Amino acid sequence: MIDNLGRPIRKVTVSVEGTFDDVVTDKDGTFEIVAPMGATLIVSSDRHGVSLATVDGPELPDIVLLIDLASEEIIVSSEAPIVAPGAAVLDREQLNRIPGTGGDIVRALTAMPGVVNTQLPLGYSGVVIRGASPQDSKVLIDDFEIPILFHPFGFRAVVPTESIKSLSFIPGGFDVAYGRSSSGIVKLETRAGSENRSTQAEFSMIDSGVVAQGPIGEKTRYMFALRRSFIDFFLPLFIPDTVDLSLTTVPQYWDGQLRVDHEVNSKWSVMASSVGTTDLFELFTTQDEDSKAKRFYSRTRFLRLTAGAKYHDGPWQANLALSGMISDLDAQIGLYQRLKVVTELVTPRVTVTRSEEKAFGLKDVVWSSGAEAQIGHSTTELAIPLERREGEPFPPYDPKDTSSRFKGSVWFPDFAAWSSVAASFDKRFRVTTGVRADMFARSGEVRIQPRSELQIKITPAWTARFNGGFYSRPPEFQSENLQKDLNAERSQQLMMGLEYAPFLGLRIQGSTYYTYRTSLITHNADNTLGNNGRGESKGFELLAMGTNGTWFGFLGYSYSNSSRIDGPGAMPRLFDYDQPHSLNAALSWKKGHWQIGGRFNLYSGLPSTPVIGAEFDSDRNLHIPTPGAINSDRAPMHHQLDVRIDYTWKWGPTVLLVFLDVQNVYLNDSIVTYFYSYDYTQKSAFESLPLVPSLGVRGTL
Amino acid sequence: MRVLVVVLALAAGCTEDVDPAWQLDHDRVIAIRATPSRIVSGEVAQIDALLGRAGEAPIEADPMTAMVVEPTVLASTLTRQGTRWRVTAPGPTELAAARSELGLEADAPVPLRVRMTFPYANNVTKTGLKVIWLGEHAENPVLSPIFVEGVDRTMATMLTVAPLTDVPLEVEFDETYVVNWLTSCGTMHDFDLARSYLRVEVEDDQSGTLGVVVRDELGGVAWQMFSITAE
Repeated sequence: MIDNLGRPIRKVTVSVEGTFDDVVTDKDGTFEIVAPMGATLIVSSDRHGVSLATVDGPELPDIVLLIDLASEEIIVSSEAPIVAPGAAVLDREQLNRIPGTGGDIVRALTAMPGVVNTQLPLGYSGVVIRGASPQDSKVLIDDFEIPILFHPFGFRAVVPTESIKSLSFIPGGFDVAYGRSSSGIVKLETRAGSENRSTQAEFSMIDSGVVAQGPIGEKTRYMFALRRSFIDFFLPLFIPDTVDLSLTTVPQYWDGQLRVDHEVNSKWSVMASSVGTTDLFELFTTQDEDSKAKRFYSRTRFLRLTAGAKYHDGPWQANLALSGMISDLDAQIGLYQRLKVVTELVTPRVTVTRSEEKAFGLKDVVWSSGAEAQIGHSTTELAIPLERREGEPFPPYDPKDTSSRFKGSVWFPDFAAWSSVAASFDKRFRVTTGVRADMFARSGEVRIQPRSELQIKITPAWTARFNGGFYSRPPEFQSENLQKDLNAERSQQLMMGLEYAPFLGLRIQGSTYYTYRTSLITHNADNTLGNNGRGESKGFELLAMGTNGTWFGFLGYSYSNSSRIDGPGAMPRLFDYDQPHSLNAALSWKKGHWQIGGRFNLYSGLPSTPVIGAEFDSDRNLHIPTPGAINSDRAPMHHQLDVRIDYTWKWGPTVLLVFLDVQNVYLNDSIVTYFYSYDYTQKSAFESLPLVPSLGVRGTL
Repeated sequence: MRVLVVVLALAAGCTEDVDPAWQLDHDRVIAIRATPSRIVSGEVAQIDALLGRAGEAPIEADPMTAMVVEPTVLASTLTRQGTRWRVTAPGPTELAAARSELGLEADAPVPLRVRMTFPYANNVTKTGLKVIWLGEHAENPVLSPIFVEGVDRTMATMLTVAPLTDVPLEVEFDETYVVNWLTSCGTMHDFDLARSYLRVEVEDDQSGTLGVVVRDELGGVAWQMFSITAE
């Protein structure tokens, strides 16, 4: 068994098709197995995927295995560095073995301890970390922010799995190189094209797409991906004719990525990338498509272009990047309500790192500094009801309510600089300390944020980490940046973690955290915004992952409590996304053509505010609810089992993979949340989605 | 997005365990009317309401209690005569004081916000809010013609429709008006459009009440109810 360079490949599993016998290649890449003439051998390895060979004699010619595109450039999570207690670098192939994601690696985030788990992603970005608000966390692609992580309804991330090199989940305690977030960070890194030219196509019930990659000459590689939704072709078939609904544009999306990497010389490399999406949705809540009063329309588009250069020479390393993004949100409800926001951002960013084996009596000294600016300009036209802030009761639906109006544009230039140093005092103790300064120029606010971490290697297998720091989020959510006197929301985070990694392939980590939040943005009595709120989150997280190639196991559990006080004299209450318990346990078996796995979810329902009465407003033709104690109700616990089956085979030069991912196989219909009748005299439950199957085919040429 | 999900759920009929907004077989205040809807100094507006009742036909009723919410300087404009509540528009001086309290410009019509209660069975009361505009005159809209299956039935009190058939309903108002078609017999489709239709299935109640309520942008309201039978 050899690779494309003629090197032997060890630990490749070889079996005879139709039998249960298998052997593994030795260090020379050779193997022996009893098989009849003409039998088909199934050859599989984690790195090279599955291939077939035919027995045509007692000694076979060399079998050449090419790197499997689906597993190429995978970061093995048990070897990836952890950047903070509770953090993890998500391994693409391992996460592909977690059922319940519908084949979308990013949706596996919900299995991570600390991420609020629901059947479909939550919030405007799709990720809620440690019970905070969705806007408190940031989603980055290649180190730069994107406005949304998921297409509408959350079935798919805006970047397909095959375009992702790695996914880092940092629930808190991130280093000074990152900011503008008071909770956590999700980092996606797009992949550079592979050394071998290939084309991959995937079809599923939700969407279809193509990924093409390969070299251009010796020093340049490209990766191109394009995807379009399919669900808009199927969904109308499931809507009965009797329903007063006309879906003129069923949720429809396009997304695309392009990345070109070029190695200039041994010291310099450059890259350019683009990420873009378009989401479109239009429906009429009547079958009469001339009725503009019953129209709902939404279009979200963004395009981010990034150019970067990396320099590496001896102890010096530098990253230079310039990124720009334009986003366009256009939403219309009925005759009166409208929201249109066009935002342009330009973000230059530079980091310089110097590493020394020894300096000032310390070992492995790494000094890093950087700076970035985010110059933003937003043109806004809105005529909408008063925006609901976290915890506020949902207002009755009033299609004529346009009490929030604005037309104009604002600039919001933000600047940041940071510096940190990491050093080991001896083999056991390593300290990282740094400071970040953010200037939010629209309000003129400057935030100085020191952060530090102490890492203690107790034994080769056991590591303890202690982390603390200051964080801030600028006022940029919803219409926050229309008000000039708003300050950033702030947090102070303390974390402690313990990690056990006895051998390659197994890692168990536990962490506990406390976050204190201040200057939380809430409504004043006159409906303007102010920094009047404060709150805290505390909890415990456990993550265990192990694999031996054939078997893969995953266990994640988190306990969390997040509460806040919205202003002087206000009563403490839970955050909207407080989820005390979340458990995810997955087991997957992979051998030969087959991969079979299951995942069990058990998690708390989310809080909600009960309505204790209502008053009829005859002129507005609606009932105005009287809310009870904020977030004093909670949906019951939800549990479900997800199953995933993959089958891989070779058809001519094409490697084909068929997968079936089924969520909630035993049809648990627990309650997700409650809603009320139009006059609030009757209460009904939104139940969890029933069986959610996802069937897909992927071909790689 | 939440609004969208709720609207989709309502439209898709995922709410079988709550009554839809078009269901007349339900205890509720359907509309409160001031006649006329806007009054100038010296004019009087009478207040009454249309009440829906579970298991019974809707009725027109006077408020049991009523009080001015704001402006408080005009609290005395609301009076009761017998069972009827009425608002008498005050003179220019009182209106100027009210504008001052509400922060309105000179000559702007003054909204008199009135909260009222209506009695229901088992000592239950339901509350409603109504604005009577003072300082200018406007009448309630006129609900005519009302087409049922293409025929003007404005003057009718009883209707007979065929079951298992889409029965077209129409009033001639543009989209600046809010139209609500209501029924306790069958299923109403597009209940909040000027052109709607009713369908009575075999399992539905075969008789009840059909009604239409229209609101204009000036606070005016009008309604009409019909007894309806499907056969």
